[in-house]
Amino acid sequence: MKARIIGAALLVAVLAVAASTATGATKRSAASVTVWLQVDAQSGWPGVVAAANAAFQKQHPGVTVNVQYQNWGTHLGKFDATLAGGNSPDVIEMGNTEMTKYMAAGAFQDLSSLKSQFDNSGTWLAGLAASGRYNGKLYGVPYYAGSRVVTYRTDQYRQAGIKGAPTSLAQFTTDAAKLAKKFGKSGYSPVYIAGTDWYVAMGFVYDFGGKIATQISGKWKGMLSSPKSIAGLTAYKNFFLAASKASKTTDENRPTPYSVYADGNAGSIVGPGWFTCCVGDAYKTSTAQFVMPSHTSGQAMPGFLGGSDLAVPVGANKQLGADWIAAFTSTSSEKALQAAGNIPNATNLLNTAKVGERAALRSWFVPAAKNWVNVENGNILRTMLSQILTGKLSVKQAAATADSNIEYTLNAS
Amino acid sequence: MGAAERTSLPSRRRRRPTLAPYGLILPVAAAIGLLLGYPIYKLVRISFERYGLFELIRHRGHWIGLDNYRSVLGDHVFWDTVVRTIVFTVANVGLTIVLGTLIALLLVRISAWVRVTLLTGLVLVWAMPVVVAVQVFYWMTNFENGVLNYLLARMHVVGEGHDWYATPLSSLGMVTLLIVWGALPFVVVSVYAGLAQVPHELVEAAQIDGAGPLRIFRDVTFPVLKPILLILTSLSIIWDFGVFAQPYLLIGSSHLDATNYLMGVYVFIKGYADHDFGRGAAISLLMLLMVAAMSVVYVRQMIKASSVR
Repeated sequence: MKARIIGAALLVAVLAVAASTATGATKRSAASVTVWLQVDAQSGWPGVVAAANAAFQKQHPGVTVNVQYQNWGTHLGKFDATLAGGNSPDVIEMGNTEMTKYMAAGAFQDLSSLKSQFDNSGTWLAGLAASGRYNGKLYGVPYYAGSRVVTYRTDQYRQAGIKGAPTSLAQFTTDAAKLAKKFGKSGYSPVYIAGTDWYVAMGFVYDFGGKIATQISGKWKGMLSSPKSIAGLTAYKNFFLAASKASKTTDENRPTPYSVYADGNAGSIVGPGWFTCCVGDAYKTSTAQFVMPSHTSGQAMPGFLGGSDLAVPVGANKQLGADWIAAFTSTSSEKALQAAGNIPNATNLLNTAKVGERAALRSWFVPAAKNWVNVENGNILRTMLSQILTGKLSVKQAAATADSNIEYTLNAS
Repeated sequence: MGAAERTSLPSRRRRRPTLAPYGLILPVAAAIGLLLGYPIYKLVRISFERYGLFELIRHRGHWIGLDNYRSVLGDHVFWDTVVRTIVFTVANVGLTIVLGTLIALLLVRISAWVRVTLLTGLVLVWAMPVVVAVQVFYWMTNFENGVLNYLLARMHVVGEGHDWYATPLSSLGMVTLLIVWGALPFVVVSVYAGLAQVPHELVEAAQIDGAGPLRIFRDVTFPVLKPILLILTSLSIIWDFGVFAQPYLLIGSSHLDATNYLMGVYVFIKGYADHDFGRGAAISLLMLLMVAAMSVVYVRQMIKASSVR
């Protein structure tokens, strides 16, 4: 993950100093808790944070809450430095793909015995709850999630004669052809997908019953070259070639799909629900969303379920940290988060009238391996996708290469 | 260094040995020892330890002897990266020095105002922060709407929608373009200054003897420039071998993989991104050895060159 790489840069300087000067954990006063949240909370739902602080302080009079807002790009580098220095926060928000490595390294405290303390802990979203569990123990409490949907131009769909959202992948492909026929100037994508956007591509793999990797008696085995995964990858290749004019080797950050959309060069884009933020003023009123359709008619394609967990780092005050998390993930907090446009952390709170929350019902998640992030850092999946799309390797060859790289990386000590 | 001292001592007046020089050098030595010595000691120690996130949290590495070195040296990605980086360095240094010398020779020959314009342009290039330069280069070569793509497609040099970052060779070629462009000013200005030292009467004499421009460059100009070129070459090698910002930012972190790693990027990904500080330390020490080995040739020639003069 890019965030991790950039963040780690900070560590270069800090580590040498912190590791040598820290003589032990700094003394914590029981009279305060430090909480690291992402800036999303500061800009999106500050009221929820304030309400949680108030509820927490009612329970623990005299204890102050010090909320420090972090950025995704640098928070892990900073966290690493505090782990080395022994002054970690009492509660930290972690991206769900970031969890496993830190759980495996023993960075967090076991919250299993306190599970019943958290509201709705019996109905947590499966994908999100899995990201906070390691070796059967609970380390991360689900905070909120974000699903992936198709954002599209209602005016273009109407003009191309498309009636309603597609209900199957085949129909979506036909619709893409209609859009291309009507608006097909050079550089226009009916459905813009960056070639190596593995969050989209793996949705096809999971849709066809495949998966990225699986654990067999303690060893990780790459599953991309299994027949089901091959079917998914082939479907992705066909759909990409039919619908997207994006570079076959680029990623979803350069350029971002919504900026292509805002330039008028895309009829639809696939990605997080918040893509509507930046579709451009001209298209604000003619933009809507639907769930990416599966190859099985009437079903949704499994989407990557992004999200955040809250954890209590080692050395922190476990009870205070857990109590704050309980206040922040209470039913009323989660409902307020939902009102702010997020997916709440439990199925009983879901409102399936909303597109994003319907998409969350069928989702997939990265393998829970401690070295998973190294697969992301090594861009193994992205390399495979660009090999497949450019035709440099056949789907089979590219998948087999990726499998052996994934196995090498995940099984490394 | 010993040879240089011995040759210069007899020319000075013989003095009684005193401790004063050592006292004078002590603060500098101590400062270097603290600022450089201790981190290097730590680096060497970590390279013999298993030191990942697990160990970071416990503030203690686990001694594993030469295992990090063994796993690094047994990894074909490491060797591929070494070879790729050496080829990359040779290409970059070669282009920088040759083009830089040619532009410096050109500067001598052109009228004053063109020279001032050119030098100003070069200084502006030199002043451009790397990150800004990378952004500008990326915009120009962008797949969707890069101006370079647009112009070249208009001239039918490349097809519509050419992707400069599609293959490792092409993307490293773009990095080379960026690095050479950024490194030229320093080389041009240094060589241009060196050209001022070429005795005019020698050039004239050679011309009268009927020597052509190539002959004059080889036998008159080049010997004067040689020490400067040696220093520039060795500095460029050190810079280009360990280059990080340009490839990391231009290729982009989501395109960096085993097919386009350069040493600087490789050590960063392995050490920091993958949280394997032990292996990262081992790789960076091996890298240090390689740079030292490459510099030795030049340092020796520099000493030889300076003692001859």
